[in-house]
Amino acid sequence: MIGASISRWTMSYFAMALAWLFVALALMVARVGFPAAHLASPDTLVLVHVVCIGWLSVAMCGALLQFVPVLVAKPLYSEKWALPALALLTAGLVALLAGFLGLGGRLPAWLWLLPLGAVLLTAGFGLIVIDLGLTAWQRPTGPARFVLAGLASLCATVTFGAIFAFAHAGWAGSIGASILTSGVPLHAIAGLGGWLTLTAMGVSYRLLSMFMLARDVDDRKSSMTLAAGALAISIAVVGGTFAIWLSSGLNAVLSVVAVLGLATTILYGRDVIEIFRSRKRRQLELNTRMAVLSFASLAASGLLGVMLVLTGAFAAQLGAFVFLVIFGWLSGLVLAKLYKIVAFLTWLETYGPVMGRAPTPRVQDLVAEARASKWFVIYHMAVWFGTAMLLADQPSAFRAAAAMMMIGIVGIIREVIRTRQLADVQSPLRLPDGACAPHLLFARS
Amino acid sequence: MTDQLVEQIRDAMRVVIDPELGYNIVDLGFVYDISVVDGAVRITMTATTPGCPAVHFLKEGVASAVVRVPGVRSIDIVMTFDPPWAPSRIEPVIRASLGFAAVN
Repeated sequence: MIGASISRWTMSYFAMALAWLFVALALMVARVGFPAAHLASPDTLVLVHVVCIGWLSVAMCGALLQFVPVLVAKPLYSEKWALPALALLTAGLVALLAGFLGLGGRLPAWLWLLPLGAVLLTAGFGLIVIDLGLTAWQRPTGPARFVLAGLASLCATVTFGAIFAFAHAGWAGSIGASILTSGVPLHAIAGLGGWLTLTAMGVSYRLLSMFMLARDVDDRKSSMTLAAGALAISIAVVGGTFAIWLSSGLNAVLSVVAVLGLATTILYGRDVIEIFRSRKRRQLELNTRMAVLSFASLAASGLLGVMLVLTGAFAAQLGAFVFLVIFGWLSGLVLAKLYKIVAFLTWLETYGPVMGRAPTPRVQDLVAEARASKWFVIYHMAVWFGTAMLLADQPSAFRAAAAMMMIGIVGIIREVIRTRQLADVQSPLRLPDGACAPHLLFARS
Repeated sequence: MTDQLVEQIRDAMRVVIDPELGYNIVDLGFVYDISVVDGAVRITMTATTPGCPAVHFLKEGVASAVVRVPGVRSIDIVMTFDPPWAPSRIEPVIRASLGFAAVN
């Protein structure tokens, strides 16, 4: 295969993901969940799952449906599974959230909604894991190995989550109850560290190299980064489960995982610097400049984590640390790459079929980077301000930061919609003879 | 006569651009070889990234552009990544405007 085809439903995944991100920010502005409520409260569970499943996981799945075939230069195992998977994930998340709201007394306590949500989410993620896993497995080299490690971590995350959901409903026996009591850190590490972070790292290697025309990272170096990351997640999942079984506490396991996590971050930083140094395009596009801000947040998360551990304040400030990881590093990177992927796919869909028959615009003609950059900067500044306000225990100022993040996100969403509408492409290049305007929510194919 | 046809084919291909770099594929140095035997055209070309979804459209675009050139009876396009494309293949004026490092 010389080139991957266009993924029909990636735009639908992105649209759904952005809608959930908007919901998450609205919840924070409305003081639902942390920091207005305790980290383990049902309201915080609602907020965390809207962000981690609705926003980050759905966006990541949409990107991978397009990108894994590019990584391995093989077609996707099954394009037909993409839409049912999105429907299952959405229905599962809604059921899960309704269950959490029931736990918190905001809805009737229909706790069976939690296992129902878990089953639907397991089915949705299962389709994604099989589809992407079988595709990546055809050529498991370079960044594709990060995706495979990420998918394995996703399986672990979903398994823990499903046990928790059944335990909440009282259907998981004493073993389920003890895993629910102690296993939440393992669920979070497998999800944020394994599934989302390892996958984002792998994808970023290839995207950065592609868009900056840089040398691919040396396989031995990226293997070392992946080995450190995968070992951290394996120890968290396997060692942590044993520790719960032996009732020995998680402190020893979490200490080893923290050291390995920090090593992974440092090794990844070394790899990213190498990509930037070897780039042939000297001028950086918006998506790369904004990715740098997310790398800064990742580095800041590492430093913050070390400082909090050294001062004995990690447990007390866990919320601020996780906030910076989720919104600074993961969301920052996903937003930057989403902005570029939407423009690139919109170009392919609209102008690819008429190439050779009529003059066509460039991908960069579909975006207005000077106008868009301010929304990204507002978003990142707000995230950093929000982190500082959480550390300083200033919930009112944190709400202001969340509102500022929302302004940035609304601006970015508007830019992405303008890209899909070809609003910034000048005539007569906008719609040459034979070209069809793209649909906002899916690719015509 | 054949040289003239090759030049006409090369000119026709300038309508096809690399969407990322924004310049036509001829000036970007994507076209490795054009050969013509009795109106049968064989083009050997490349792109920046193997596996990229744009590669298929570049190939189709070249076929659409070249088929209109008078004298062309058939087209065979060979996509290759050996040798890989390098920025040194870009026309120097365009290379400078694209912001590529001077040492490539």
